[in-house]
Amino acid sequence: MFKKFTSEDVSGQNQVKASVQRKIRQSIADEYPGLELVLDDLLPKKSPLIVAKCQNHLNLVVVNNVPLFFNIRDGPYMPTLRLLHQYPNIMKKLQVDRGAIKFVLAGANIMCPGLTSPGGVLDDEVGAERPVAIMAEGKQHALAIGFTKMSAKDIKAINKGIGVDNMHYLNDGLWKMQRLD
Amino acid sequence: MAEKPQPVHVLYCGVCGLPAEYCEFGPDFEKCKPWLIHNAPQLYPDLVQVSNSKEVDGVSDQLQSSSITDGTGPSGSSSVPKQEPVKRLPGGKIKKKERQEVIIEKVTRNKRKSITTIKGLELFGIKLSDASKKLGKKFATGASVVKGPTEKDQIDVQGDIAYDIVEFITDTWPDVPETAIYFIEDGKKVPAA
Ligand SMILES: [Zn+2]
Repeated sequence: MFKKFTSEDVSGQNQVKASVQRKIRQSIADEYPGLELVLDDLLPKKSPLIVAKCQNHLNLVVVNNVPLFFNIRDGPYMPTLRLLHQYPNIMKKLQVDRGAIKFVLAGANIMCPGLTSPGGVLDDEVGAERPVAIMAEGKQHALAIGFTKMSAKDIKAINKGIGVDNMHYLNDGLWKMQRLD
Repeated sequence: MAEKPQPVHVLYCGVCGLPAEYCEFGPDFEKCKPWLIHNAPQLYPDLVQVSNSKEVDGVSDQLQSSSITDGTGPSGSSSVPKQEPVKRLPGGKIKKKERQEVIIEKVTRNKRKSITTIKGLELFGIKLSDASKKLGKKFATGASVVKGPTEKDQIDVQGDIAYDIVEFITDTWPDVPETAIYFIEDGKKVPAA
């Protein structure tokens, strides 16, 4: 999704009104309870919250020119990888084996076998259509943000095809967009 | 769990910008290697081993940190990951926790507009807010201290001022030697001096 993303794909940036700002805060707080205590630092009530609208119904939540979250249409907010790296425990994690790393970093979706092989790790609590952190065998930090196409249990049972959509990965356009001016 | 979670500090590669552990999958691992040897030896023990065997100098005998420099045996490669990597300079000297360096980088935003970022002034005891004011005045442009939630504070100056800035820094803050100032050019770190 962010493979060739640049600031030129941002069609408009708006400071949202207070009611919308509250709604966004609330959805993020509901989705990521682990962020509760730092939410005031990340999304200060006094700083304007900017929503940047981009192509394909993509929205970026931007504070002080730094993209922090994104979502599609009204879908769940997902953290940028730079933010997730700071607070790695806010999302459920799935782990791909080492062999899958280079494909994920090329933007490929995550195939079930990469998660079910000996180097992969599944969290049975993860349901379908959930944002997840994609970790990698032997690595400490997340390499992608994914959105599950099936539950972890189905990934294990079906073990074929795409298990998780690759939403955002290291070195994609969003990763490179450290600031949005 | 009422404690406020502290942000994790991730070691990002100074060359390719990825978390250092992913350089091996990055766009150009070869270019990252020198940086990794000095800044993240514990992640790539094999690299350090190679470079140690190439470096023949007596100084390395005096090194105290045996777990990292003792790269000859396989035990070196399985050493526990350290929170703070010991930084080594060519020649084997061990550096303090944080290198005192000022890094200047020009970032192009659109086709015409660019920003010059300056990192590391605080390591010389300079107050960034003061520095940003002085820079804005000197170059008659917008300058601000940017608190990235993901990175350390830096100063962003609008426009491309990269080449006038070294003199200004060394004139204004004599504590900063010219040799500690570096540019990032095409992803490479180049000394300003
Ligand atoms: Zn690198």
